[in-house]
Amino acid sequence: MAPKSILKTPTVSTNAPLSSSTKPVTQRQRNTAIYHANIISQQKNVENEVLEAILTLLDFPASPDADPSRPSAPDALRFQELIMPFQPSDYDSLLEERNLNGSCGYALCPRPKRRAPSTARKHFRDTTKGVEIVDKKMLEVWCSDDCARRALYVKVQLNEEPAWIRQGGASEKIELMVDNAEEHHNALPLRLKRETAKATPKILHDDEDDAAAAWAARDDALADLAIERGEKPGRLSKANKDLITAQIKERVGNAPPVPPSLPSQTMGPSHMAIEGHIPGSAGRAVPVSDEEEDDDTQDWDKHLPG
Amino acid sequence: MDSGETYSASLIRLWRVYRTTKEMCYDRGYDVAEEDMKLTLQDFAARYMREDGEPDRSKIHFSAIPSEAMMKKYTPIPTAKDPDPTPQIGTIWVEFNADENVGLKQLRDYMQHLVNGAYYSGVMVCTKAMTGMALRLLRGSSSLAEGPKGGVEVFVEQDLLVNITKHELVPKHVLLSSEEKKQLLVRYRLKETQLPRIQVTDPVAKYLGLRRGQVVKIIRKSETAGRYASYRWAI
Ligand SMILES: [Zn+2]
Repeated sequence: MAPKSILKTPTVSTNAPLSSSTKPVTQRQRNTAIYHANIISQQKNVENEVLEAILTLLDFPASPDADPSRPSAPDALRFQELIMPFQPSDYDSLLEERNLNGSCGYALCPRPKRRAPSTARKHFRDTTKGVEIVDKKMLEVWCSDDCARRALYVKVQLNEEPAWIRQGGASEKIELMVDNAEEHHNALPLRLKRETAKATPKILHDDEDDAAAAWAARDDALADLAIERGEKPGRLSKANKDLITAQIKERVGNAPPVPPSLPSQTMGPSHMAIEGHIPGSAGRAVPVSDEEEDDDTQDWDKHLPG
Repeated sequence: MDSGETYSASLIRLWRVYRTTKEMCYDRGYDVAEEDMKLTLQDFAARYMREDGEPDRSKIHFSAIPSEAMMKKYTPIPTAKDPDPTPQIGTIWVEFNADENVGLKQLRDYMQHLVNGAYYSGVMVCTKAMTGMALRLLRGSSSLAEGPKGGVEVFVEQDLLVNITKHELVPKHVLLSSEEKKQLLVRYRLKETQLPRIQVTDPVAKYLGLRRGQVVKIIRKSETAGRYASYRWAI
């Protein structure tokens, strides 16, 4: 038998130049088609989910006296759940729709958005860095700078990756910037996992939020690093894993170590071996040979219309 | 009206949009008064111009009732199960939205209005394109419980400034009834999927309010062959 690839292949191989050389081509194409059909249907589901979430968050929070800095636990939890599948662009849509409704962009705020002092398109604004010129629209997104801060704190945590290719939908909980964290800790796990890991005090301060952001950034960096190394990061989806496998193949550009003492007959042209390695053989973790590439193009051509 | 009067560009624009919208309803088969389609700018201004010279969009909305012929065209073929099918068409409500931007909230309110008024379908003419989320709601609105039975169509004023079907290069498109469609398929021994297609987002298809599954007859004039017809299946 040919040596087993060191790379784990998914049970249902989807893009599989790695393992498909033995399978009939049609099976591979069928899998590819199913794979793409699945993605499209998942995409539709997520898009509807996001739409429903925005419709709900349009009239949020229910109570006109709600305080965005001290949201009720149920409101906060609902908000966190609803935005889980969001990408940053979906969040922008939420702001847009709330603003068209006359509301402050921050979904936990019941107040109307701020009105610009005049109908002029551009406005001057005092900031810590001096006077700034901003669009009227920008001025009218929030009711206050405080809401802007809290709303953007949510946005930066949103996953850029569309939810339909995330692992198991949306798993990461979004943290909120709240002044009544202790109430929430009793009701919902505001970053519970990291809290226990670090055994920090229960009350959330702003500088701890910074720390939390730093932790999140570090997690992201680790995940990226894992991808670069070709490891299998737990948080990545099957779809991604496939893509990554392909990438690794290109980057490694080398056969896995093959014991030189095993030139079996079934391995084919062993006389082609160079120091025990047969270039371009068996399609294992070697750079895609020209021949294989040609095969691929032809396979695809068959499916192109016309 | 004194003939020397000049009107604002936005009023003239909306007058054109209004006429095209009326023509569109007429071409779909609704009962539309001839004088509405021929309404002069002066009369339009007299009815709908505000004191500041701008058009008052909130007054321009109208409803239209399907003609007998349209009702017939939209009636499904009777079956043993349903020997007397009801027409898949009804009163339409046309509204000219004045908001700078139309989002989910406005669209949902509009749908609610259509349902409350027992309208079969609606056309909303907006000054600008709707938000992405509103369009997403619109795409799914046929499956949505809250919308009217016949759905909501949205046009941007810009699209109705001129009537594209009046352009000499645009051939005449005629919607076939279910019965006519059936006869066509039987005659040519075709399945509908074998027909060439027209997207429901095609400008002419949109103008006629084509629905998925309907078939249009397209009549072209040719210098050599006189008139000839082709058929397309709306997807
Ligand atoms: Zn606010």
